[in-house]
Amino acid sequence: MKGVSGWFTLKGKSLNSLAYSFHRLTGIVLLLYLIAHLSFLTSLRIGEETYTAFISTTVRLETLPLDSLLFLATFYHAFNGLRVVLNEFGLLYEARKALIYLMTLLGLLFWLYSTYVMYLFLTGW
Amino acid sequence: MEREVIFRIRRFDGEKTYWQDFRFTARKGMTVLEGLYFIKENLDGSLAFRASCRMGVCGSCAVKINGRPRLACETQIFDIGSTLEIEPLDNMPVLKDLIVDMDGFFRKHEAVKPYLIRRDDDYENPKELLQTPEELHAYYDFSLCIKCGACYSACPASATRSDYLGPAAITAAYRFCADSRDEGREDRLNLVSGSDGVWRCHFNAECSEVCPKSIEPAKAVQRMRLMSAIHMIKSIFR
Ligand code: SF4
Ligand code: FES
Repeated sequence: MKGVSGWFTLKGKSLNSLAYSFHRLTGIVLLLYLIAHLSFLTSLRIGEETYTAFISTTVRLETLPLDSLLFLATFYHAFNGLRVVLNEFGLLYEARKALIYLMTLLGLLFWLYSTYVMYLFLTGW
Repeated sequence: MEREVIFRIRRFDGEKTYWQDFRFTARKGMTVLEGLYFIKENLDGSLAFRASCRMGVCGSCAVKINGRPRLACETQIFDIGSTLEIEPLDNMPVLKDLIVDMDGFFRKHEAVKPYLIRRDDDYENPKELLQTPEELHAYYDFSLCIKCGACYSACPASATRSDYLGPAAITAAYRFCADSRDEGREDRLNLVSGSDGVWRCHFNAECSEVCPKSIEPAKAVQRMRLMSAIHMIKSIFR
């Protein structure tokens, strides 16, 4: 058995595998984010000050690229996941490659817009 | 037309894995399998690979060529290029050089009961089982599988779970479940509905890309999944 490297081996593979590898990768990123997010929320139990201190380290203009990348991972994962759900219901199987392009495009559009909104928010609208 | 080519072969001698380069002059139309035979007969008699029909029927010669599982007998050297990286299939233990142990792969195939199941089997008085062309087309494409293992090698779900049935076995299950003459659907659905069956697939669909018979195993797996979902819902109310 090839093991987990089989999820990320792209040599000789098609666009399907590229989409699949990104889905796994973004899934791992989202899992790490979820752990960080829950840790932040749990810090509320210590006190509001701790929570505010945590938040002030991450909600800054300097960390905007990281937030932006997180949104990229989120939108890619969400739209690609939608494609997988459709295909797994036996729908649009023949159009599976076109769907990859369409969903990636939608993910990118949502990512760009969300980054723009975040930028406006951090720079005081 | 003739040209020098390099076959870079991943070899395994039972203990260690290593790459070995072989250079020879290939001619137009020569297949990768012919190249392997040329090496075995002229350059290194110890090279081990599997082949039988040499015409894309038996499924024994599947290997990875530049990362993609293909039938060596159906792949022309010049279609790939001047340097060919040849490796054994993934997700199966390598026995020697390009030969993998397909025992587990065939056991999984066997497990889904890939044959017609009839309640009225009577070999003394055989009866003709008629089908309309539509009924034939419902499963015909999926009956063309040659059990080469290319789909199994490309499948990332098979890469991480050795108990996953894999695309070929599930395709075989679907081929019989979709056959109007068959009466074993219930049996097979019970076999493929577990987490080692259709629900393990995460629709990478690379199996459909590499299948040398263009069978579209990913389509069969998704159809089997739908059948399985309906079967599971029905079984709740039974
Ligand atoms: S489904 Fe295709 S790739 Fe898989 S074993 Fe059958 S012929 Fe080979
Ligand atoms: S040798 Fe039989 S399929 Fe290639």
